[in-house]
Amino acid sequence: MKALLFGAVWIHLASSVLLAGALFLLLLVGPTANATIRRWERSVVAWSRGLVLVAIVAGLVWLLARTAVFENRPAAALEPRALWRAALDTWPGLVWLARQGALVVLAALLWARVDVTARRDWTAARGQALGLAVLALGLASAASHAAAIGPGAAWAVAVDVSHVIATGLWVGGLPALARMLHAAGRDADAQACGKALGTARRFSHVALVAVLVLVGSGSASAVAQVGSVAALVGTTHGHLLLAKLALLTPILALAAVNRVRLLPAATAASAMRRLATFVTLEALLALAILAFAAAMTLTTPARHAEPVWPFPFRLTLDGLDDAAGRRVFAASQIGVAAVIALIGASILRRRRVPLIAGAGALIVVAATLGLPPLFVEAYPTSFRRPPVSYHATSIASGMAVYAEHCASCHGADGGRVTGADLTSRSIVRRHAGEIFWLVGRGIPERGMPAFEGRLTERARWDVINFVRALGAATAATTLGPRIRPDDAWLAAPDFTIAVGPLAPGALRDYRGRRIVLLVVYTLPGSRERVSALARSYELLSILGVEIVAVPVRVTSHPIAELGAAPPVLFPVVTDGAAAIVATYGLFAPGPHTEVLIDRQGYVRAVWRDAALQADTSAVQAEVERLNAEKSPPPFPDDHVH
Amino acid sequence: MPLWQVVVVLNLTFAVGLGLGYAGWGRRVDALEREVNADRARIERLERERAACANGAKAGELQWEGRGLVRAVYPRLLVITHEAIRGLLPARTTSFVAPATTSAPRVGDAVRFSLRGTAADDVAIVAIEKW
Repeated sequence: MKALLFGAVWIHLASSVLLAGALFLLLLVGPTANATIRRWERSVVAWSRGLVLVAIVAGLVWLLARTAVFENRPAAALEPRALWRAALDTWPGLVWLARQGALVVLAALLWARVDVTARRDWTAARGQALGLAVLALGLASAASHAAAIGPGAAWAVAVDVSHVIATGLWVGGLPALARMLHAAGRDADAQACGKALGTARRFSHVALVAVLVLVGSGSASAVAQVGSVAALVGTTHGHLLLAKLALLTPILALAAVNRVRLLPAATAASAMRRLATFVTLEALLALAILAFAAAMTLTTPARHAEPVWPFPFRLTLDGLDDAAGRRVFAASQIGVAAVIALIGASILRRRRVPLIAGAGALIVVAATLGLPPLFVEAYPTSFRRPPVSYHATSIASGMAVYAEHCASCHGADGGRVTGADLTSRSIVRRHAGEIFWLVGRGIPERGMPAFEGRLTERARWDVINFVRALGAATAATTLGPRIRPDDAWLAAPDFTIAVGPLAPGALRDYRGRRIVLLVVYTLPGSRERVSALARSYELLSILGVEIVAVPVRVTSHPIAELGAAPPVLFPVVTDGAAAIVATYGLFAPGPHTEVLIDRQGYVRAVWRDAALQADTSAVQAEVERLNAEKSPPPFPDDHVH
Repeated sequence: MPLWQVVVVLNLTFAVGLGLGYAGWGRRVDALEREVNADRARIERLERERAACANGAKAGELQWEGRGLVRAVYPRLLVITHEAIRGLLPARTTSFVAPATTSAPRVGDAVRFSLRGTAADDVAIVAIEKW
């Protein structure tokens, strides 16, 4: 059924594109009295009549096949009720109705025996036909991947519309143009040849603009729907896009040859026939591109698919140590010198050869010096997005799994015993997907066992979250009770704030709205401090702070244990406190610690002995400094990298 | 009639039809949606009035139901961290007047409560029980 769906989409798209292009070329040629061109015009109208019928039938087949796929029953394709639902109760169905409607009206216009001898009538008939064909083609974007983009769908659809219409005018016009050139060359009619060449030149200008629009809109769509190199080389959608680009290269080369070489030289009939042959070749390759475009509409957009990295390495600038950083910087400067030498060679006529040779040598030196530190071993899961978020519950679960399976080699704190140092720079440089691969498959040559069969996938991601938290905890030792203005880098692991039977919230609910002071306390030592915070709660609230208190020792009535006076009105976590205590204990261990998390979700200050403080002035001072910051960083990712 | 005039008339008809269609049906749909929302709000209000009447409220008073956690207890005042109270308050911590006759809960208790009054700043707890 999917093959039928693909065939229907391809034929429908190709016929719609060819239709729009053929009708556009008719308008570009204009009304003429020349017999050869008139014959060509009649043949193009006949060709358009056939195309519109093919488009309508392919559209019908598309609806049948889509209904079967949508309902997950082949028999649904022949059930009127299911077809009715697919056409009227779904957005693609409504768009299909509008497109088919435009095509039916166009078919009526093309098949009607109308008199177009008067110039106005001719222009009205051809213009109306082109308008309907372009409408049917452009409407396809309303149900494309572009329409499903979250915010900015209108822009994405507008870009897609420009892409398909540019395709229609350029690619669709090629067969009709080839036919005209062939007819003019065959008849050896000087007037027809002149008309055909004039049309080819005008079409060449239009095609140039269309190609520029295609490149611009295609690039914008690729950014929106692919988004990364990994998605481009590691997903089906990305592969189809690469195949499209690979086919586009010979088409553009043929177009360039036609425009620069063949068109200026096409004065003789034989030259025109050769030009017609090249244009036909261009059109055939373009039809193949439409097959890839049709397949792309049926695959998940690369941005939303799980990429499978195909190479055994990747390049990254992340986590370079000082020596490697200096080496890469030096290589980049050598590269800049090579570029300057190349620019000099293009400007200067004398000494061009030595300049180019020197630039080549510099490029080799720059690559030899600068590339090796950027290479990192990679695996198919290198760019896999962790399905488990960087959450205290996951980190705490990972901690337990780590203690049982990993600590004996890697050490309780990630520093090595016999295995790798998990807090080292080389591990921090690794993507989460790479650690996932190594944990699952093991490293036999280094004695690391494979955990794929011993731990569930969820447990392996939990361990990875824990290892990331370990690395963050090592870095967090530099954080103290004073914030560094505009220096947010440590993402605070998310956690659930469950207070009694009320609907639970989460740390991330406060993002963009409130600063959070996480208070991990132990009674009775923390009682005075919690009371001080309770008394200052109103003032801190006015400053934009929410206090979230988490007891280290879990009891059945943590709120009641805090006492009635002064009233504690901030959230006190009653369920899931252990995971929060375990996770944030990595950053700031102790019976009473306070962690200041800014509005973006970054840990900015840590008080490790806060229970000793009698008042909350230190917290207020840091909050005021946070409030004075002018350039907040973007929200941290909810998943580790 | 020449063909070009037919085409112009057809396109104009199509454009005018689209415009009239939106002006008629499109605006009507918006108006209907507003009416439905207003009626829904009216029904909710009537239900609250009925609930209040059933419990002997004064004319014009409504009744809301809420659930929450007691955070502070004062004479004739309870501070409760509550879930969203539909039609009255979002989820937050609020102090409510509580009559002395109400059985006083303790800090940390999870409770269900009924509020009666005319607006968010004019409500009082009329019934409270353990959740």
